[in-house]
Amino acid sequence: MSDLSRRSVLRAGVGAGAGLLTVPALAACGASSAAPVRSGRVRISLWTHDPGYIKTFRTAIRDTGLMRGSRFDYGLKVTSAAPGDVMTRMIAQAVADGNTPDLAGLVIDQFPRVMGSSIARNLFVDLGDTVRPFGDDLLKLVPYTVDGVPYGLDSDNSITVLYYRQDLFEKYRVPEQVATWEEFLEHGERLSKDHEVSVGMVSTGDNGSIVNGFLQFLLQRGGGFFDEAGHLVLDSPEALEVLRFMARGVRSGALLALPDPYGSACAAALKSGRLAATAMPNWYNAYGLQANVPDQKGRWRMRTLPRFAGGGHIGSTLGGTAFAVLKDKPHSQAALELLRRVYLSREGQILRYKSGGFLPTLKHLYQDPELVATEDAYLGGQPVFDVYGEAAADLPLFYQAPGMQILADVLGGPVLDVLKGRTSPDAALQAGLRAYRQQVKR
Amino acid sequence: MTAPPPTRAPATASARLPLTPAPSRSWWSRRQRGWAPYVFISPFYVLYGLFLLVPILIGLYLSCTEWAGLGTPRWVGLRNYRDLSGDHSFWTAVANTGLYIVFTLCVVLPASLLIAQALNARGLRGRDLFRLTYFMPVVISPIVITLVFGLFFDTEFGLLNAVGQALFGFGGIDWLGSPGWARVTVVVLVLWRWTGYLTIFFLAGLQNVPKELYEAAALDGAGPISRFRNVTLPSLRPVTAFVAVTVLVSTAQIFDEPFLLAQGGPGESTLSVAMFIFRAGFQRQQLGYAAAAGVLLFVAVFVLGRLAMRLLGVGRDDR
Repeated sequence: MSDLSRRSVLRAGVGAGAGLLTVPALAACGASSAAPVRSGRVRISLWTHDPGYIKTFRTAIRDTGLMRGSRFDYGLKVTSAAPGDVMTRMIAQAVADGNTPDLAGLVIDQFPRVMGSSIARNLFVDLGDTVRPFGDDLLKLVPYTVDGVPYGLDSDNSITVLYYRQDLFEKYRVPEQVATWEEFLEHGERLSKDHEVSVGMVSTGDNGSIVNGFLQFLLQRGGGFFDEAGHLVLDSPEALEVLRFMARGVRSGALLALPDPYGSACAAALKSGRLAATAMPNWYNAYGLQANVPDQKGRWRMRTLPRFAGGGHIGSTLGGTAFAVLKDKPHSQAALELLRRVYLSREGQILRYKSGGFLPTLKHLYQDPELVATEDAYLGGQPVFDVYGEAAADLPLFYQAPGMQILADVLGGPVLDVLKGRTSPDAALQAGLRAYRQQVKR
Repeated sequence: MTAPPPTRAPATASARLPLTPAPSRSWWSRRQRGWAPYVFISPFYVLYGLFLLVPILIGLYLSCTEWAGLGTPRWVGLRNYRDLSGDHSFWTAVANTGLYIVFTLCVVLPASLLIAQALNARGLRGRDLFRLTYFMPVVISPIVITLVFGLFFDTEFGLLNAVGQALFGFGGIDWLGSPGWARVTVVVLVLWRWTGYLTIFFLAGLQNVPKELYEAAALDGAGPISRFRNVTLPSLRPVTAFVAVTVLVSTAQIFDEPFLLAQGGPGESTLSVAMFIFRAGFQRQQLGYAAAAGVLLFVAVFVLGRLAMRLLGVGRDDR
């Protein structure tokens, strides 16, 4: 035992540990060497948070019309995870050169995580050549564009419309086609005062919900958080106007303050009839109204948003999930072709609408006879594409930047303070901007 | 009797074996006695190094870099720590975490002890039912907790405000929308969730207190409060110390409760340090910055834990 000290054994242990760690580290340094698959049977690894997309892709690969002429015979290997986990695990796997997906569904508010430090450029296939032929006809590309390069195709146009209870509007004599928000708010104030009924909601729960609610109105008004170059443009008259509008709505009761638009409190508001209208995207029909108040089928209708008197659009947007193809993988080419067929063809877009209610992102399809003829049973058989088509023609652009998450964190509190009457819109905006600049400086 | 003549041993291989092993065997035999104990204990050291020391060292290294999760970390020295010292959000998180620790030590811990004392009462009926009831919150799914508490504390449609309105004529408390009330809501959730769990420890401790001590105290004329103060509390000192240190360390890393109820909001009013780290690392991709905050949390928890152990005498035999 004289020639083997405890110290030397411990040293050997540490050496062995370091050696074990070195193996994956060295493996991670090596480039992926698998040859790209150019035809034949492929099993695409798909990561997403939403069963609707799984159903869509499964239906798509079985659709012989959609897949006609493809060099690939597709299968799917699906992994479901929460939106944040899809992104976190994908990045972690990329670092370890592990099993990244071939096709990843990225929720819009997660995408800013890959906008900085060239992460998107290193992870995803540049879709520039793929989308170029579509020009302006392809909507909602900018939220997933970094330095002018698009990396994701959105699954849904997420067009915000005004849902309203036609029966309650008739009962309380609220005109269905009010021209402006200001006029609409006056009706809401009357309804709140006389009947304890509100004509809209604002979120007062977590920062994400609060800021999204604000952003939806701000985009409609013609403002935004960032411009195309990623510069902060929040310090604007439009932002102040929207904050004042929301504060006035909450103060008068025209807009109901709820933690979020999906939870139990919102369900209670919908069930009790306290909420007679709400501005929400198209997906809210299925996930908000039909999920919470199926018994109110036939009583709801929708229309384009009233304009702000000061200007802006008749549509807005909130939410979305883009699919991106991971680069330099054996199945990258096959995944790109699958994405192109399902997301950039007429047949694929109609299939997506029919399988999951996802609105087309190709503008010309809003005049497609097959879609125009669509009636929504929950909305009393309303031909919905009349409304969607009108809104799609006047949608604001939504630019994101790497600091989007920080902005949402620091703006949530001040916006909430405005909604609760604890501060003025101007002071809140300045407080949010100050905090953002302080944190982003780093 | 004469000794038999020596016979010539057969020239077999075994017979030719020397009394000492051959040089190669002897090297192995000599060393295996020395190696054996270390080989037997090596799994611990290897695992300890791989899963504790190496991550800590990597965390320390990352805390001095700027890294978004992909690509090569860029060395920035102590800049992350300097930035943390001037980050208002970080200090908000530190203050909130301090509040949660103080509340847990000053309210949850005594409440657990009192409940355990009540459950330990002689002749209590339905003791197991009570135990189950108090322990239940620990095993309930966080999703269910979020839904139920969200409905309890909602300003417009919440049960608490409705009851307050019906019984006392007021019910407009903005539980989750006002920074002050949101903190109260979080600590109420902490109280609800962990009191029963800690009660189990105290109950186990109480059942080990010798009955003779109570009988002797009673003979000396001690009442219930005096017996509790002079018999129960001293007897429970080791358990109390253990629970206090455990609670201190786990509350310093609190994440679930503020995240479940308000995701750190409104604004950042319920943000904890663990949430701050999560947010920096997994929502903003500032992994170096998150690592720096993690290192500070580790140091704080380690120092506080050691101090508490020393003050409370954990592991010390007072007999």
